[in-house]
Amino acid sequence: MRKIATLLLSAGLVAVSTQAVSGPKEDLEKFRTYFEQKFPGLQLDEFGNGVYALDASKRLQWEAMEEFPPYEEFVDKGREIWEKPFKNGKRFADCFGKDPSKVRVKYPRWDAERQQVVTLELAINDCRKKNGEKPFKWKKGPIAWLSAYLGYEARGQKIDVKIPNDPKALEAYEKGKHFFYAKRGQLNMACADCHVKYPGHFIRGNLLSPALGHVTHFPVFRAKWEKKSKSGDGLGTLHRRYGGCNKQVRARPFPAQSEQYRNLEFFHQYMSNGLTINAPGYRE
Amino acid sequence: MMKKSIVSIGLALLIAGCNATTPEKPMTLKEQYEAALARTQAAVKKAASVDGEWRDIRWKKSKKKYLPKAIEAAKAGDYEKALKLLKIAEFQAEMGYKQAMAEKDAGPHLYGL
Amino acid sequence: MTSNNHRFSGLAGSLLLAAGLVITAQASAAEDPVSAGKKIAFDRKKGNCLACHQIEGGTLAGNIAPPLLAMKHRFPDKAKLRAQIWDARKNNPRTIMPPFGPHRILSEKEIDLVTEFIHSL
Repeated sequence: MRKIATLLLSAGLVAVSTQAVSGPKEDLEKFRTYFEQKFPGLQLDEFGNGVYALDASKRLQWEAMEEFPPYEEFVDKGREIWEKPFKNGKRFADCFGKDPSKVRVKYPRWDAERQQVVTLELAINDCRKKNGEKPFKWKKGPIAWLSAYLGYEARGQKIDVKIPNDPKALEAYEKGKHFFYAKRGQLNMACADCHVKYPGHFIRGNLLSPALGHVTHFPVFRAKWEKKSKSGDGLGTLHRRYGGCNKQVRARPFPAQSEQYRNLEFFHQYMSNGLTINAPGYRE
Repeated sequence: MMKKSIVSIGLALLIAGCNATTPEKPMTLKEQYEAALARTQAAVKKAASVDGEWRDIRWKKSKKKYLPKAIEAAKAGDYEKALKLLKIAEFQAEMGYKQAMAEKDAGPHLYGL
Repeated sequence: MTSNNHRFSGLAGSLLLAAGLVITAQASAAEDPVSAGKKIAFDRKKGNCLACHQIEGGTLAGNIAPPLLAMKHRFPDKAKLRAQIWDARKNNPRTIMPPFGPHRILSEKEIDLVTEFIHSL
């Protein structure tokens, strides 16, 4: 009996160690090496500038844009939201701590109690609900302003997503990873098709960005969204962008903050660990 | 007597045979629509259960929305149009499911990582 | 109300006329499979071939996939070209090229026309 137990135990150990070989850490190393080899000579942090790290003429226009960034007024609105007390007299600082520059780097995080990935936007609305306020809409407007403000305050710090050695957390990570690499929609395309295989190539008139560094500049201010908005507010969250991508490959988008997109974000942000936060960013 | 009964058995068989080959009353368009709707709804549910649903089946922001538009057409009495739309919706749902199954083991290894 | 009715019948008349024109235009296009195929190939909501391929006469083409030229040389057998357009996964299972036939992104007839156009390049 004991023999069997030892046998089972060692079999279990073997299973655990093979899992460790292809765990998040190894995934990240391979991911980063792939991009460094694809774009030799490009500094790691440059990937956070997306297509502007790859195209010199686009970069010039972009740098001119960033001198008087159109997102500034919305970052200011985000600061007002951060500072304004709720009806009960409490503030966001009572949920997140007093220092607004220390918030962004904590998300997304694995919440062991709730057994789920908690993104910054989810935590923002949790805080509002806890204080008797109506939650914000998920994809744009006040939630994007506040998230952009917290990103702006965190500029210069590094993405640092932690994947704890908890089977449920690893499962969420693996689900996000699978989502990223699986083809979907009538056009049969995976996130990885455009953003791993073909970054630096043009799809019609658009230059494809590398997946490494995507998340550093989110929420993002897009000219495309700015045009659609009556108030010139081009800010949107990462999950708004996920929905747009899925729609373009003719898959049904998942709701912002759905389990699918939170898991995808968990993987996607983790892959950019060590890159400098430069949110919000301006993009076409 | 014997002969008579053989004849009558033969006759009975003939009648029975005729009965069996008499074509069933064809399904009305409405019945066809109801069957197709049930099939399509089941297929869509199955595709969604594996996160494989495509954009234009019923998503609220889709311009095509084949499934709800089929239901609308049927409500307006246009079953032919409804059936046409359901055919597309059912096909897309089945393909979405098939695609998700084919992609079950998708991962970085497929992209040289 | 009456004047409105008049306006409507006038409108209906011109719509009918316009519809007639469209039908004639379509009929003449159907006579020329190459230009009919070109329309489908260039349409962003149809073939959208320019998303990835450079094609003569198209602007803002992508560069994910090879430019489409000398096609008769590359595909002496038109059926092989059609098969590649129909489902590029046969030659490369992880291709980014959409499976136009199996996913019914284009109809069989549309794929025939696109094949005619691409083969003419």
